[in-house]
Amino acid sequence: MTHPAGDVVTAGHVQQTKAQFYWVWIALLVITVVEIALAYNQVFTPGRMLSVLLVLSIIKSALIIGYFMHLKFEAQRMKWMLMVSVCFCLALMAVFFADAQRILTLGWKGH
Amino acid sequence: MGNVQNTPHRADVGVVDSSVQHAAHAHAAPTGFIRKYIFSLDHKVIGLQYYFLALASVFTGLILSVLMRIHLVWPEWAIPGIGIIKDEQYLGLLTLHGTFMVFFVLTTAPQSGFGNYFLPIQIGAADMAFPVLNMLSFWTTFAAFIVMLGAFFTVMPIAGWTSYPTLSALPNAGSLPWGQDLWLLSIALFCAASLMGALNFITTTLDLRCKGMSLWRMPLTCWTWFVTAILGLLAFGVLLSGGLLLLLDRNAGTSFFVPGGLVVNGVQQRHEGGSPLLWQHLFWFFGHPEVYIAILPGMGVASQLLSTFSRKPIFGYRAMVFAVMAIGLLGFMVWGHHMFMSGMSPYTAFAFSLMTMAIGVPSAIKTFNWLGTMWRGKIRFYTPMLFAIGFVSLFVSGGLSGPFLAQPTLDIPLHDTFFVVAHFHLIMGVAAIFGIFAATYYWFPKMFGRMMSESLGRLHFWFTFVGTYAIFMPMHYEGMAGRPRRYGSMVVAGGLFNRLAALMPLEKFISIAAFVTAAAQLIFVINLFWSMKKGEKAPVNPWEATTLEWTIPSPPPHDNFAGNTPVVNHGPYEYSVPGVERDYVMQTDPASVHAH
Amino acid sequence: MADAVVVHPGAEAYEPSWFRTYSKKIGMWLFLLSDSLTFGALLFAYSYNRLSTPGWPTPFHVESIRNASIMTGFLLTSSLTMVLAVLASSRGDRAWTRNWLLATMAFGAGFVLLHAAEWNKLIGEGLRWPLFQTLFDLQPGTNPEYVAATRNFPQFGGTFFALTGMHMLHVTIGIIYLGAVALRKMWLPILGVLAILCWWAPGPFHYGFYVLLFGLAICAIVLLLKPMDYTDHDIEVSGLYWHFVDLVWMFIFPLVYLMSTRISS
Ligand SMILES: [Cu+2]
Repeated sequence: MTHPAGDVVTAGHVQQTKAQFYWVWIALLVITVVEIALAYNQVFTPGRMLSVLLVLSIIKSALIIGYFMHLKFEAQRMKWMLMVSVCFCLALMAVFFADAQRILTLGWKGH
Repeated sequence: MGNVQNTPHRADVGVVDSSVQHAAHAHAAPTGFIRKYIFSLDHKVIGLQYYFLALASVFTGLILSVLMRIHLVWPEWAIPGIGIIKDEQYLGLLTLHGTFMVFFVLTTAPQSGFGNYFLPIQIGAADMAFPVLNMLSFWTTFAAFIVMLGAFFTVMPIAGWTSYPTLSALPNAGSLPWGQDLWLLSIALFCAASLMGALNFITTTLDLRCKGMSLWRMPLTCWTWFVTAILGLLAFGVLLSGGLLLLLDRNAGTSFFVPGGLVVNGVQQRHEGGSPLLWQHLFWFFGHPEVYIAILPGMGVASQLLSTFSRKPIFGYRAMVFAVMAIGLLGFMVWGHHMFMSGMSPYTAFAFSLMTMAIGVPSAIKTFNWLGTMWRGKIRFYTPMLFAIGFVSLFVSGGLSGPFLAQPTLDIPLHDTFFVVAHFHLIMGVAAIFGIFAATYYWFPKMFGRMMSESLGRLHFWFTFVGTYAIFMPMHYEGMAGRPRRYGSMVVAGGLFNRLAALMPLEKFISIAAFVTAAAQLIFVINLFWSMKKGEKAPVNPWEATTLEWTIPSPPPHDNFAGNTPVVNHGPYEYSVPGVERDYVMQTDPASVHAH
Repeated sequence: MADAVVVHPGAEAYEPSWFRTYSKKIGMWLFLLSDSLTFGALLFAYSYNRLSTPGWPTPFHVESIRNASIMTGFLLTSSLTMVLAVLASSRGDRAWTRNWLLATMAFGAGFVLLHAAEWNKLIGEGLRWPLFQTLFDLQPGTNPEYVAATRNFPQFGGTFFALTGMHMLHVTIGIIYLGAVALRKMWLPILGVLAILCWWAPGPFHYGFYVLLFGLAICAIVLLLKPMDYTDHDIEVSGLYWHFVDLVWMFIFPLVYLMSTRISS
């Protein structure tokens, strides 16, 4: 059931243009090529590589969320509520890693 | 209110829908039994379906707990149809008791049951935002319930409601095929259903509030349903991942949660490399918010009732809302306090301990405000009010042991004892159940158009209230004396726990108290079903409350407000307003009733 | 079927939506929020296992990376065609809405086919779950590197198949969803044929038959009970889901493939 007021309140949106979508698409492809090139040539040590790839991926997802998923043009509170809650939960899960590191120093090692 | 125009009660059906009497409406109600009562899209019918599902589950869980108490004290008794309960069966009973109670009662009744029924009405909507999704959500929950019953009747899972690996991950380690797999399947279905419900609740609250119902005019019940839905939305997805991986461990031979070099019954397992702690992280990332999913709606109901029956505005409305939000937020940052015993970095443990203690602050704000609401009120001690006060009492009693358990140094000796059993049963189990009872007695007149019996209600309250304390208070002492939890009978001759034989009289006392309290629940069942048919006819607003559900007939017509949408001019708790003749102001009263 | 059980009165009877948009979009965003935590938890589980396993293998060579790169290109392009479909639908251009949706589905299907071929190749070369072994009674793997990875680091294959499998499932659901939006009842027979073809698919994809059959049943129920014409709102909402699937791959690709690469040797 759509909100009865749906059409009224979305009327004020900024219309996105085709050209913008093509630019975003090209940017996404370029970043992907950069990622592959970095991995192909083993430019960094694994730790450094991971952080670089993650930053590039976050830029890519910001482009997808902002332009393709249109979130950049939604109401401020919608933007903030959704992004803050998901980032908060994902950031919390990083606590798992304190444990993963600890396991390396414990118990039976296998192989 | 002289406005008594409730519809005649139709006593021939258990689930009441008054649409027949309102055939004149512009919006046709579905006719035919299946569309009206089985695959109904009406949020009120779906709410009742959830409620009765929870009722079936709570009695299943109750019977399981009685069997557990029998096994703990009189292990030699042969139960008709079951025989003598073995220790493994005790673990099965324990697992299913926890699962039914936590998922199918505490998550289902307050949120999906009452929330479904009253959230749209209290915000002035005709239905939820997505009625079809609502129906799917119920039937998925029902499917989950059936699958869980399947686990009960095949091979009972024995790994507890937390299903810790490695016991739960290895079919040859005791949690045999079928039971544990069905448990996981059921929980996966339950997660999906809860997600559907949660997004529906959030969208409804954001989108379908009638004119004048700003967020700050929502009753506290709506606030708690809203925040609970957010918790459910963010927590159940994580449990779904964990459940999926555990299912793969059991059936696809992967070993996400099984460490290398494990030897079971003398056989080294082919699994290797995983970590049981990973499951604990994933589970408790969901599990601690789940505790608040169970208790928050009860807090909302308690706030609503304490204000109504004290004839006073709620003390600190905004503080209550911010406290609920703070509890929701902090609830995501404390899951590690379930894992102090499992071992973790002391730094992480410190952070989790600190955050857990911090939850005491909003909890104390809420308790203080509840007491402040009752202070010098003209209190009307009806049954729903008794249960609301009981809720506060249990919340305090159970809550006070929280700060002890939040400290790793104290938690380590206490964690695997009955002290923790006492703690979470008081604060999360029975307190939430009291919230459900309070809500039932309060809203029954609206849902079924008849009043419940006050005298039976009071009898039920006192038996349950005293019984609860009699059962769970002694468990604190047992825990401090070292009585371990998750163990079958300890009275076996020459058994490991003979040193605890001195606790036996206390154990017997707890068991007897449990039997009496369980039997007293029959009073509630009799009251519920008797009142549905024979209760006194309920007026529109029997409690002289202010919120929107008390402006429409009891039971409400098919689309709640007869095709209109109310206009709200007042906050939800305007009781004993100075200068107003009547001691309450309905939310829909004209704005000019008093100068704001 | 008369399904309009509740007709909400006009907009003036309600407070404005708190997110200033229509309900279906909010509902889909909330679902995606929850789903991103589901995937997030899986990715964290993968990272956890990887961190706690010294000597994690890096067996992906040029061909794997090339294949995955082409797949990524497919998915990114499908996102572009998807926004073009949304744009066309907001103009009210029904023909091009359908065309762009079909293009999106084609790119998505290309992604799934390439991925399936890769799975089968890896399984044949020796990267496996114990389940695959018992289900398909497989020959020993042909690539000693993958055989060693499966034997010494069972977490490698475990996480690889779990993560990419879950993602592939989401892409498949997305294609079924878009098909229902684009073609409505015409989609049902097409999906039926695809399901039957899947019966003969090699390896684990034989079981795709059941996935597609289940999708067909759900589509049939929805389309028969609610035979409505999908509006530009529905297209936008389906687009949100599709972009999200693309977004998840933007993390799986670097974490699972690029971080497990060894080009030299
Ligand atoms: Cu907790």
